[in-house]
Parts: sequence; structure tokens; C-alpha cells
Amino acid sequence: MSGIETVKIIVDAERQAAKMIDDAMAEAAAIRKQIDCLIHQQRQQMLAEAKKEAAAISSRAGEEGKLEAAKYEMESAQGLQSLVARASSRKDATVDKLVTMMMLVE
Amino acid sequence: MSETDKFTEDILQSAREKAENIIREARTETQRASDEAKVTISREAEGIVRNARADAEAVRRREVSEARHRTKLREQQEKDKIMQDVLDRVKKRTAQIVGDEAKYIPLLIRLIEKGLQELGEKSALIHLNKLDLKRIPTSLEGEIGRSVGHIKVEWSKEPIDATGGAVISNLDGKIRIVNTLDQRFEALEPKLLIEARASLFGE
Repeated sequence: MSGIETVKIIVDAERQAAKMIDDAMAEAAAIRKQIDCLIHQQRQQMLAEAKKEAAAISSRAGEEGKLEAAKYEMESAQGLQSLVARASSRKDATVDKLVTMMMLVE
Repeated sequence: MSETDKFTEDILQSAREKAENIIREARTETQRASDEAKVTISREAEGIVRNARADAEAVRRREVSEARHRTKLREQQEKDKIMQDVLDRVKKRTAQIVGDEAKYIPLLIRLIEKGLQELGEKSALIHLNKLDLKRIPTSLEGEIGRSVGHIKVEWSKEPIDATGGAVISNLDGKIRIVNTLDQRFEALEPKLLIEARASLFGE
């Protein structure tokens, strides 16, 4: 092998090496670019799921609150009914007591 | 293998390693970025859900609180109705007592005597309503005289507008003690309300 041929082989190898590195750099750039896109998609997906869950929670809360309020009002109505009945049965005695107070001049 | 072949192989091997490094670094870097992004997005998503839970709890509490308020209002209205009925009946019964002389006359005497004591004058003018003016003074003179004999009592000819009871004044009418049943009811109303509330509702 002549000297010229040897140099040619080495120059060719250097060129291949440079191309390998260029290709690697291009691939690295593509990987970096791809991840931005992936993160964006991931963000959209996770936030969409969270918003869906949030909407379900809000919707349930309104219904649960109304149910709880209705239950409370029903129980209170029963309590009020017995309170009114009890007070009504004490009306006559109370009137007597208050009239006595009116009559009592100290 | 010739020296040249060995040399070129070294060049290519070195380039391969460099290329692998470049790609490995890019992968590691993107993996790290992806992991960090996941943590951040998860936090953001958790925040959305957490806020929704807090809002939901507020909605639930508001519903229950409004129900409590409505209930309290209804209860208060019912109590007020009962209290008003009781007070109306007390007023009616008190007015009926005026027709029952056996009960009313002693009450009127006490009201007049109390008024005379409060007035603290040596002479006094007693004002009654039309009905009492007709039926009472002569029969009362002796009664009043017994307890407050040292006060000269005169009876006004002008009737007052009252269910019963009396207005006691000094002779020029500048000092007046109003001991009518209506005034008494009005003055006692806070006490009557407290008593009624305790008796009716145990409060």
C-alpha cells in the first residue's frame, strides 16, 4: 500500500467518524425535541383526568349536600313538631302563671 | 491486521463511543426532564382535585348551613306564634278580670296604693276609666284610706282611656304614675316573655 492510499484510508475513516458524531448529535436533538412534545401530551392528559375527577367531585358534592340538608330538615321538622306539641300542652298553665304575675303588685 | 487498518479502526471506535455518549446523555437528560415534569404535573393535577374537594366541602357545608338556617327560622316562627298566642290570651284574661269585681277591686287597690307610694305626695288625684269611675270610688275610699291614710285622695271626674287600673297624679297633674293594666302589661312584657319561654320551651 502506497503512502497516498494510506492517507486516503485514514481521511475516509475520519470522515466516517465525523458523520457518526453528526448523526448522533442529530439523534440527540430529535430525542430532546420528542421529549418536549411527550411532556406536553402527558400534561394535557393528566390535567384532563384531574379536571374530569374534579367535575365529578363537584357534581357529587351538590347532590350529597342537598341530600344531607334534606335529611337534616326532615329530622328537624320532627323535632319541631314535638316541640310545638309539648309547648301547646303547656299553654294553659303558662297563661295562668303569667296572669298571676300580672295580678301580683309588689 | 495492518497498522493502517488498526489506526482507522481506532478512529471509528472512538467516534462510535462518542456518538453513543451523545445519545446516552440526551436520553438521560430527557429522562430526567420527563421525571421532573411528571412530578410537577402530578402536583398540578393534585392541586386541581384538592381544590375541587375543598369547593365540594364548601358546597356541602353551605347546603347544610342553609338548611340549618331555614330550620332555625321555622322554629323561631313557630315559637313566636305560640308566644304571641299566650300573650294574647294573658291580655284577654287580664281584661276579663276587670269584669270580675272580686278579683279586680283588690288588684285596683294595690295598683292605686303602689302609685300613691311612688308619687310620695301628701295629696293625690286618681284617674280611672269610665266604668271604674261609676262603680268604684265610693267603695274604694275606705280601702285606700286604710293603708295610706296620711294622703289626701281625690278622684278625677275625667275618665282615662284604659282597660283598667289607674293613673295617680299630684294635684296639678305634673307628676303622673301610670298604673293602668295596659301599661302594666307593657312594663311586664319582658318578664312575661322570659317566663313564658321558660315555661313553654324550657329555655
